[in-house]
Amino acid sequence: MVYTTRQIGAKNTLDYRVFIEDDGKPVSPFHDIPLYADEEKQIFNMVVEIPRWTNAKLEITKEEDLNPIIQDTKKGKLRYVRNCFPHHGYIHNYGAFPQTWEDPNQIHPETKAVGDNDPLDVLEIGETIGYTGQVKQVKVLGIMALLDEGETDWKIITIDINDPLAPKLNDIEDVEKYFPGLLRATNEWFRIYKIPDGKPENQFAFSGEAKNKKYALDIIRETHESWKQLISGKAPDNKGIALVNTTVSDSPTYSPSIASKIPAASPQPDGPIDKSVDKWFFISGSA
Amino acid sequence: MFLSSALKVNCRTMPLTRLLEISSILNAKRQFSSIQQGNKFTRDYKQYLQLSNGEVGSYFHDVPLKLDRSCKTVNMIVEVPRWSNAKFEISKELDYNPIVQDTKKGKVRFVHNIFPYHGYIHNYGALPQTWEDPNQTSVGSLKGDNDPLDCCEIGSDVLETGSVLEVKILGSLALIDDGELDWKVIAINVNDPLATEINNLNDVEDKLPGILNATREWFRNYKIPAGKPPNEFAFDGAYKDVHETIDTIQECNDAWKSLISSKQVDGAPSTKRAGEGVKIKPDIKPAQEIPAEVHKWSYVEARLDNCS
Repeated sequence: MVYTTRQIGAKNTLDYRVFIEDDGKPVSPFHDIPLYADEEKQIFNMVVEIPRWTNAKLEITKEEDLNPIIQDTKKGKLRYVRNCFPHHGYIHNYGAFPQTWEDPNQIHPETKAVGDNDPLDVLEIGETIGYTGQVKQVKVLGIMALLDEGETDWKIITIDINDPLAPKLNDIEDVEKYFPGLLRATNEWFRIYKIPDGKPENQFAFSGEAKNKKYALDIIRETHESWKQLISGKAPDNKGIALVNTTVSDSPTYSPSIASKIPAASPQPDGPIDKSVDKWFFISGSA
Repeated sequence: MFLSSALKVNCRTMPLTRLLEISSILNAKRQFSSIQQGNKFTRDYKQYLQLSNGEVGSYFHDVPLKLDRSCKTVNMIVEVPRWSNAKFEISKELDYNPIVQDTKKGKVRFVHNIFPYHGYIHNYGALPQTWEDPNQTSVGSLKGDNDPLDCCEIGSDVLETGSVLEVKILGSLALIDDGELDWKVIAINVNDPLATEINNLNDVEDKLPGILNATREWFRNYKIPAGKPPNEFAFDGAYKDVHETIDTIQECNDAWKSLISSKQVDGAPSTKRAGEGVKIKPDIKPAQEIPAEVHKWSYVEARLDNCS
């Protein structure tokens, strides 16, 4: 499988869309890209939404057919995350696992909170900066349970299998060994990132501790099962998620012909980013 | 003219700030522009200062320092924008001292990303018409590093390479880099929304908590990934206050004055400057792609642990 991207419009505009193509045909990064790149070796496909050190909040949309990546908006305006000192933009390659769903109808027994209705979020910590729409193969190392405005929002910690350090990283303790301070920074980042917008500090379940690989793999399996319910039309409430797909042939929303309705590529040069996005916010007592 | 000098006495306190902001932006725009040649991120790239009459000038010698002791302000030239890695600097060797990218073993130089930081953490640059004289010793037996004084601007905007702006002096840190004295002046753009509220290092810590410690840590560690030992600081790494910093700037301005009034000697910076009406043409070429390894994060703590 060779995944490529199909860009519509200019980055940093409301028109911007990145579709994922498989051999040139648009597919859904939510439903069509297989979760496992190699199930036996526990290698996963990750869809990169936001490259490290950037601010635009790009995400797989639930509203449109074949779920292109678009920039999130708030009150009609493009959303950018704030820079919280000492960090610059997102501090990982940030993205999602395909074919997973954090079911908002289910309360997780340990976090005691419902799912956030999104695919599982993935943090990739390798040395190379990814690009929006990139599908990379990753190794799972651990997981953190963010409670974002009352919902469980798991963050899976991974590394690109092609990173030079990947062979040495096998579980959560290896992250602290080879990336000392990164888990602490990750914890801090997610706790404070909405404070500049006037929101309270986020909380983590498990006193902020990252859980190990085994725990992460269990959550991935659970959310993959939830997605299977969703795509088969058996979820109690699908929350209006666009479920049309080109590969899940036994699903009610299977429609290979949808690909022909996706617009042709029309990439434009990046739009300007407002200067205010460059501001550094100093949140006292956070560091 | 009279109006502007009358306002100047107020040191840009409210409510004249906005008016002065506008006038200072207009002034800077009118006075200086730049001429670029070559592909950015290659050895051939040069960014020259251009004066309002169109002739080429020197960032080192032709931008006035404009040290104002009562307002505690000075002019600064931005070499490296915050959150970037390319080590741009005012060339000492080339005539008219264009901004070029530093090289090491023939390759253009990028600073490493020292976790948790990305690139430089300030708009980094130099104070024109200053020189850290390598023939003079100060702070014990340390010699100057033969460069203009370095300046770290801590305002909220990311500023472009070659920007000339007025900054408010807040303090300084005496870095010892490879055995040479290398002052880092801490300053803030006079047009930053916080500039009126920040007058000294205590105000910096109050409004931008953590930035001073981060600055010290950054300069201590930034060469470790290149295989060098941590840098040291004079005065045990304590910051000098505004008044002491003004004295340092004055001394370096005096050293610069003797540099340009004496004969060119080997190893000293080129002192060629505007005045002969020399003009050059822009010749901008597409930027070279930044090598992927520049985006790597270096975990310096781990490195130290491995060494011990």
